[in-house]
Amino acid sequence: MALFVQVLVSGILLGGLYALMALGLALVWGVLNIVNLSHGALIMLGAYVTYFLVTGAHFDPFAALPIAAAVLFAIGYAIQRGILNLVIRGPMFNTLLITFGIEVVLMYLAQLWFSADYRTINPGYAGASYAVGGITIPFVQLIAFAIAIGLTAAMWLFLLHSRTGRGIRAAAQNLVAARLYGVSPKRIYALTFGLGAALAGVAGGLYGTVSQINPYIGGALTAKSFVIAIIGGLDNPLWVIVGGLFLGVIESLTALFIGPTYRDVASFGILVLILIVRPSGLLGRTA
Amino acid sequence: MKKIVRGVVLCVIVALLAALPWMGNTVLVQFGINLLLLATLAQGWNIIGGYTGYPSFGNSVFYGLGAYGVAIAMVQYHLPFWAGMLIGLGLGVAFAGLLGLAVLRLKGHYFAICTLGLALVMTAIVSNLEIAGSNIGLVLPLHTGEALFYELALGLLVLTTLTIFWLSRSRFGVGLIAIRENEEGAAVLGVNTTLYKILAFMLSAAFTALAGGIYAYYITFIDPAGVFDVVLNVKMIIMAVFGGPGSVLGPVIGAFVLSATSEVLATKVTSIASMFFGVVIVVAVVFMPRGIIDLVKNLRQAGWRYFIGNVRAHRL
Amino acid sequence: MYAFLFFIAFSFLPAPAWAQQVTLGASVQLTGPVANTGRYYKDAYEFAAEKINAAGGIAIGSTRHRIALKILDNQSDVNLSVRQYVQLLSQDKVNFLLGPFASNFVLADSSIAEKTRVPMVQGGGASDQIYSRGYTHVFGTLPAASNYFGSTIDAMTRLDPRPRTVALLYADDAFDVSVAKGTRELLKRAGLKTVIDERYSTNASDFSVLLSRIKSGKVDAVLVAGHETEVLNFIRQAKSLGVSPMLQSFTVGVPSADFRQALGRDANGASGMTAWLPSPALKDQWFGDAEKFAREWKARYGYEPDYHAAAGVAAVEAFVNAIQSAGSVDPQKVRDALAKVSFDSLYGHVSFNDQGQISLPQIMIQIQDGKVVPIYAGKEFLNKLQYPLAPWDKR
Repeated sequence: MALFVQVLVSGILLGGLYALMALGLALVWGVLNIVNLSHGALIMLGAYVTYFLVTGAHFDPFAALPIAAAVLFAIGYAIQRGILNLVIRGPMFNTLLITFGIEVVLMYLAQLWFSADYRTINPGYAGASYAVGGITIPFVQLIAFAIAIGLTAAMWLFLLHSRTGRGIRAAAQNLVAARLYGVSPKRIYALTFGLGAALAGVAGGLYGTVSQINPYIGGALTAKSFVIAIIGGLDNPLWVIVGGLFLGVIESLTALFIGPTYRDVASFGILVLILIVRPSGLLGRTA
Repeated sequence: MKKIVRGVVLCVIVALLAALPWMGNTVLVQFGINLLLLATLAQGWNIIGGYTGYPSFGNSVFYGLGAYGVAIAMVQYHLPFWAGMLIGLGLGVAFAGLLGLAVLRLKGHYFAICTLGLALVMTAIVSNLEIAGSNIGLVLPLHTGEALFYELALGLLVLTTLTIFWLSRSRFGVGLIAIRENEEGAAVLGVNTTLYKILAFMLSAAFTALAGGIYAYYITFIDPAGVFDVVLNVKMIIMAVFGGPGSVLGPVIGAFVLSATSEVLATKVTSIASMFFGVVIVVAVVFMPRGIIDLVKNLRQAGWRYFIGNVRAHRL
Repeated sequence: MYAFLFFIAFSFLPAPAWAQQVTLGASVQLTGPVANTGRYYKDAYEFAAEKINAAGGIAIGSTRHRIALKILDNQSDVNLSVRQYVQLLSQDKVNFLLGPFASNFVLADSSIAEKTRVPMVQGGGASDQIYSRGYTHVFGTLPAASNYFGSTIDAMTRLDPRPRTVALLYADDAFDVSVAKGTRELLKRAGLKTVIDERYSTNASDFSVLLSRIKSGKVDAVLVAGHETEVLNFIRQAKSLGVSPMLQSFTVGVPSADFRQALGRDANGASGMTAWLPSPALKDQWFGDAEKFAREWKARYGYEPDYHAAAGVAAVEAFVNAIQSAGSVDPQKVRDALAKVSFDSLYGHVSFNDQGQISLPQIMIQIQDGKVVPIYAGKEFLNKLQYPLAPWDKR
């Protein structure tokens, strides 16, 4: 029983991080209708930015996160403004392809600049944990989970109540309507992609504190993000959180009861099933 | 007259290609096997992606099934190669038929992601299958006649291209194009869209699976990550899109140009080759989103304005 | 004495002008996901060739041949690496082949060597599959996968208190499955009880479930056969979940410098194995000894060599020895000479069995205070093992 609860707790904590990874992807997909295959590469860059702030400038990892977010925001803004805006009205698989191309370039640059060495963000308290009634709760993962929930909530409030947020939501429905909010579509698209990248940056920083970083971690993270975005749907950040938790728990329980090699069968199987049965996402209302 | 000349030229090119293994350059033969298989894959994708307008990321599943059909038949049951090809073909086509029914109801990004998910879930399933050697993979018997693989790959590409040629002037092909342009409209005009889409998916799967079968025997060692490779699927799309999706020869030209360039880069300036691949994709999508065929048609008339025109048409 | 011989060799050489050369070709992973280990091979091949050339190259009869290298980057892509090996042979006209890193690459690439009947010596793949195909032209300088945990298990039976229960975790790729298969046998023979025997997906990043099972199963010793990224995650998550069995041993990472760097203090206590340590006892014709080799390598490349590096150098040296004793660069003669080669090197004693694989004992090692300490080499304890490991908060 203790084992089951422990696995459940681990799954939930993992799910929080998953959700944060998927949040940026879902935002960009929902608003810009771009399926961003370079999302994982942005997560990877966020991890590196955090890593270098921690090891080079002796930042605390969590204090470095806002800077990582800002840097990634700038990168994301530039990518959308400079490249993606040029093709956004083209055929759908062109945007898919171009984000794949961007991923390849980012991955290569990362290897060139940072080398293929494995790195970890490892502050003194990284391995600390709380024991509650025989259940171990890792400290860093708990913080990461809290940040993920907090950012999602903040995102939700921002989209719902701020002027720019309403502009973004309007742009998701109709570009002409977005103009009424006084923001040019070019800017609002770049802003949205920038926000997506910033969220990826934070997710990357947190990922580096619980796992390892190398230039090639992106692909798998992009795939996970898809699954969550599909489970949660694209219209409400809060559902993305639920999607992340759902995936984290399902993966952990599969590993426990069926076997660790069946994790991917479960998570990608769910992706396919949900799409076939309910393309709008398991939880969301509309696509 | 012009048509006859064109036909003769193509026949001569194919004959010359067929003679290549006897000209003594084994590097070219190796490159050829790889190129011809990639071109076949791009053509296979062309049927479902280019003509029908369904951007499949699941074609690598058919490739993997074809490869495993051969590998399992030869390694586990000691059957001859051609029997394995038939098994692989059957697996691929059956998979396309069964899943096509469910998956082809999805559109756009959702279809793309769902087929991507299929590729990932198949990798995960096969890596747990005892009969497929789990994730360790299977070691096939060694066959030293490279010419065999080359001629098989060439034959398959010719067959695929001829099929697409037929497609482009048949009722069936017109139906597929109608689906791509406007699916509801096609249905109104009396096209049985479900049937057409599934047939296109199965046809695409057939050629892709055969290519996978040839590959398995040629490379002698396959594992799930190697043959259910999503990146391979992306390559098919890039080659087709780069050459000209929805045209008869575009994907072949795209495959040829891109493979040749990346091969030269991989061997000459070895360290930037992989980044080059990414840059080419980005530049190609921005400036020539309809591929080489379209570029050749319009470049003479429009000159450099062709590129500007493309950007103008698609930018925000 | 050696120095004197070198001097003689040098003084008779028409300095830069070499009459002839022998070209060794390889396609290794310089970019892509496996580049981190692939680089060892490029650096090893180049370092060895340079050293051997400086000492007069390869002697065939009375003429001296320079070693030339042709190394291509396969971008961690198996298909590309196969084509590159073909290209190396027929276009670049290399005489012999050196191997890539990783068993799955070796499995595909060595078929080219077999087809063209040009010998390949590789120091990058140890999976049993490579040697069970009946190939005659593939030689390997990594010892058998099935015995990787041999010395560790041997040592475990002599520990006090003796570990009673063992968890065996392994990635599902060719090499690690081979390791697990051998280890299972060894554990049974040593009378140790395996309570968890579980396969996980290659590149797995979350080990919390397996770790929780280890914790609740009260496992004494954990043996993990996997890849460096997985082991990094495993150790980090073991710490955060407070899982500290008495002994933890890993097939990879522990001897590698960047692994210890990535983990910092958390690497302490992790044990593993290596077929090679930079010991001055390992004499070498070209490098002096293994310790000197390691020092020069560090100075030159800026990171410490591990057994991958030494196995790569040994592959080059095996060719030199075989070519010299064959007295020819004829592929068939050199293959036959390789089968009989027997010499001491900085890597250890190099000779190949009938399947073409080297046989070397694995030395059990442990990271203590950030340094690799040899623990057990099959007969006796060389140094004290930190055992049982203290809980994480007391390390």
